Amino acid sequence: MINSTSAGAAKALSIKPTKKRFKKQMLWGYLFVAPPFIGMAIFLLYPLLSSLYISFSKYDFSTSPQFIGADNYTRMLFHDPLIWKTLGNTFYAALGVPIGMAVSLFIALLLNQKIKGRNFFRLMFFLPTICSVVAITLMWQWIFNSDYGLLNYFLSLLHIQGPAWLTDEHWSMPAMIIQGVWGGLGVNIILYLSSLGNVPTQLYEAAKVDGAGAWVRFRHITLPGISPITFFILVTSLIGALQDFTRFIIMTAGGPNYSTTTIVYYLYSQAFQYSDMGFASAIAWFVAFIIMIITLINFVASRKWVHYN
Amino acid sequence: MIKKKGWITLASLSLVLSSMLAACGSNNSANGGDTGTPGAASTAAATTAATDSAKSNEKVEISISTWGASDELAVFKEVLKGFEAANPNIKVKLLHIPNDYPTKMNTMISGGTAPDVLFVSDGDFPRWVKQGAFLDIQDRVEKSDKIDVNDMWETGLNRYKFDGNKTGTGDFYALPKDIGPTVMYYNKEIFDKYGVSYPSADKPMTWDEALAMWQKLTVDTNNDGKTDIYGSGPIWWEGYVWSNGGKILSDDRKEFTLNQPEGAEALQHIYDLTNKYKVVPDARVLQSMNDGQMFEAGKLATITAGRWMVPTYRKLKFDWDVAPIPAAKEQNEWNTGWSGSVGFGINAKTKHPDEAFKLVEYFAGTEGQTKMTELGFQIPNFKSMSNTDVFLQKGQKPEHAEVFINAAKGEGPGMWTYLPNGKWSDTLNQALGTYWKGTQSAQDFLNDLKPKVDAAIKQGNPELFK
Repeated sequence: MINSTSAGAAKALSIKPTKKRFKKQMLWGYLFVAPPFIGMAIFLLYPLLSSLYISFSKYDFSTSPQFIGADNYTRMLFHDPLIWKTLGNTFYAALGVPIGMAVSLFIALLLNQKIKGRNFFRLMFFLPTICSVVAITLMWQWIFNSDYGLLNYFLSLLHIQGPAWLTDEHWSMPAMIIQGVWGGLGVNIILYLSSLGNVPTQLYEAAKVDGAGAWVRFRHITLPGISPITFFILVTSLIGALQDFTRFIIMTAGGPNYSTTTIVYYLYSQAFQYSDMGFASAIAWFVAFIIMIITLINFVASRKWVHYN
Repeated sequence: MIKKKGWITLASLSLVLSSMLAACGSNNSANGGDTGTPGAASTAAATTAATDSAKSNEKVEISISTWGASDELAVFKEVLKGFEAANPNIKVKLLHIPNDYPTKMNTMISGGTAPDVLFVSDGDFPRWVKQGAFLDIQDRVEKSDKIDVNDMWETGLNRYKFDGNKTGTGDFYALPKDIGPTVMYYNKEIFDKYGVSYPSADKPMTWDEALAMWQKLTVDTNNDGKTDIYGSGPIWWEGYVWSNGGKILSDDRKEFTLNQPEGAEALQHIYDLTNKYKVVPDARVLQSMNDGQMFEAGKLATITAGRWMVPTYRKLKFDWDVAPIPAAKEQNEWNTGWSGSVGFGINAKTKHPDEAFKLVEYFAGTEGQTKMTELGFQIPNFKSMSNTDVFLQKGQKPEHAEVFINAAKGEGPGMWTYLPNGKWSDTLNQALGTYWKGTQSAQDFLNDLKPKVDAAIKQGNPELFK
C-alpha cells in the first residue's frame, strides 16, 4: 500500500491534475472497501479454497494434508453406505419445508384478519424464533417423551396410544419434522404478513364486484401477489433444511440406527469425531453442489409461478 | 484539509481493522477461557535464556489442561501446589476447559497450541496418539524411580500403549491418573424389605443366581399392574460378553467377533432380562427417569455404575453397598464389566519434556495418588496403596470397598479405547439401539451386522491391514 502511494506520488508529477485527483479518489475508494474485502479474503475465501484442497487429500490434523486425488470422492459416492442414507434423511427432513410454509401461510392469513388480540398472537408465534435452539430442543424432548410427554398425553385423550417418538426408528424423523415446522413458523409468518399487506386492495374490490368467492380471490389474487415472498422462503428454507443439524445432535444424537443423522451431521462427525478432514471436506463440497443444483432448479421453475408486478 | 481528513480516516480505519484482527487472534488462542495461550511465548523466552545459564535456578513454566468439575478442580490445585513446593524451579499453569474438552483440545492440538501436559480420557487417547499428539515416554517410564509399573493395574496401564496402529501393546504414550472400575451397587433397604440376602462381595454371582435374585426384587407395590421396583438397572453388555468368553473384536482388532456364539448368547440373555423376565426396565420406562434417578428414588434394587458415583451416593438417605457384576458362570476373574480411566500425556511439541514428565510422574506417582485418593475421588494407580486405608477408608461407605480393587484387577478397558478411528463402534452402538427394542434374535442380528462393522473397521483404520 505504502509503495503504491509513493509510486503514485512519483507518477503524479507528470500527470494532468484532473487525472491526479481521479487517481487519488480511486485510492481512497480502495482504502474504504479494503476492510470488508480483507476480512472476506481471510475468513471466507481462504477457508473455502483450503477445504477444496483438503477434500482431495488425506488430513487428520496431525501432519500436513497429503494429496490423494479424488479418493475421498470415489469413497463417498461408491463405498460409503451412510452417505446415501444420511442424504435420504436430509431430504426426508426437508419435507418439513412445504409443510411449514403451508402452515405458516394459513396462520398468517388468520392473523391478517382484524381480530382481537392480534398482536398477542403474533408475539406468541414469533417467540420460538428468539429462543435458544438448545432450550427449545430440550423442551421438545419432553413433549415427545413416550410415557409422560405432552403429545402422547393429548393423543391418549383421543384414545390413541402414541408412539415412542424419539426412540422408534420410524417415528424419529416425523418427530423432528414436527419440531422443525414449529421452529420455523415465526419468521415465515412475519414474512407472509408483510407481503399480504402489500397486495393491492383494489384488486380484491374489483374481484368482489365481479362476484368472485373467497377461494377464487385467494387462488388468483393472494397467491400470485405473495409469490415473490413464497419463493424467497422456499429457497432460504430449503438451503437451511439441507444444512440443519444442531437440533438433531441434541434431540436424538442421530439415532436410533442413524434414522435422524442428516448429511451435515454426518460430515460433522467425520470431521470432529473421526478426525477425517479430507472425507468431511469432500462431503461438504458434495452438499454445496446439491444445494446449488436445487437452488438453480428453483430459480428456473420460479419463472413459471412467481410474479413480480 | 482533505488531506488531513483523509489521514484521520485512514488512521481510524486501520485501527478498526487491527482491532478486528486482534479480536480474532485472541478468540482463537483463548480457547481455555481466561488463561489464554499456554505460555508458548514466555517459555520460548525462558528456554533461550536457559541455554547459557545454569539450569538449576532457572524458572520454567509448563502448562496442564483438565476438564474437572469444581470439587475435582480443587483437589487438582492441591496436587499442583504440592508439586510446585517439591519442584521450586517449575511453575505450573492450569488450563481449565470444563465443557467440550475433546473438541477444544482437537483444535489446540492441530493448531500447535496444546499445553505441555494433557489430560486425556481413554476414549480420546487412541485418536490423538495416532495424530502424533503425544510424546513416546517409554524410556522415561522405565527409568523413573517413582513409577513402579509392576505395582500398577495392568488393565489401566495397557490402554495407554500404542504400537502405531492399535492400543494395548507397544510403547507408553501416557500414564493413567486413575482407574474407575464398574460394579453393582445395591440398595440394602429393598433387600431387607423383601427378605433377600445380599450379593456376595467375594466373587461374582452367576447369571442364573442373579436372575433369581432380581425376580424376588421386582415388585408391583401398589398392585396397579405396573412394576414399581425393578431388580436391576440396565445391563452394561460388554462385561456380559467377556464373562461368557466372548470378544467384541479379535485380538489383532481387525475383525468383529461379537457374532460368535458366546457374544450372541450374552446379548440374548440381556435382551431376555428386559423383555422376557422383565426384571430390568425397558426404554420407555427409562425415558421418564434414567437409571441413576431410579436408583436414588428407591425404584431399583441394584444398578451398574462406576466408582465415580461413590461421592454422590454417600449423600443418599438409604444404606447401600457394592458387589461384583454377575458373571456367566462360576469364576474368579472378575472380567464382568469395563473400567474407565483418564490419563496424562505429554505434548509431542513441548519445549520442556523433562519438566512435563516430572509433573506426570508426580500425578501418577505416590504423592499425587495419595492426595487424590484421600479426597475420595478415585482408586489409586498402585495395587499396594489400594490395600491400605488411604483407599479403603473404613467407616465410610461402601462397606466392601475391596470390591473395587478386585474389579480394577479384572476389568478391561471399554471398546472405545481399541482403535484410533471409532466409526466401527458407532455403527455397532447405533445398530444395538434398534436391537434392544426389536424382535430379532441376537445371533441373526449380529450376523447381519458383522459385514457392516468389519467394513467400518477397515475404512477407518486402513493402517491395520497393511
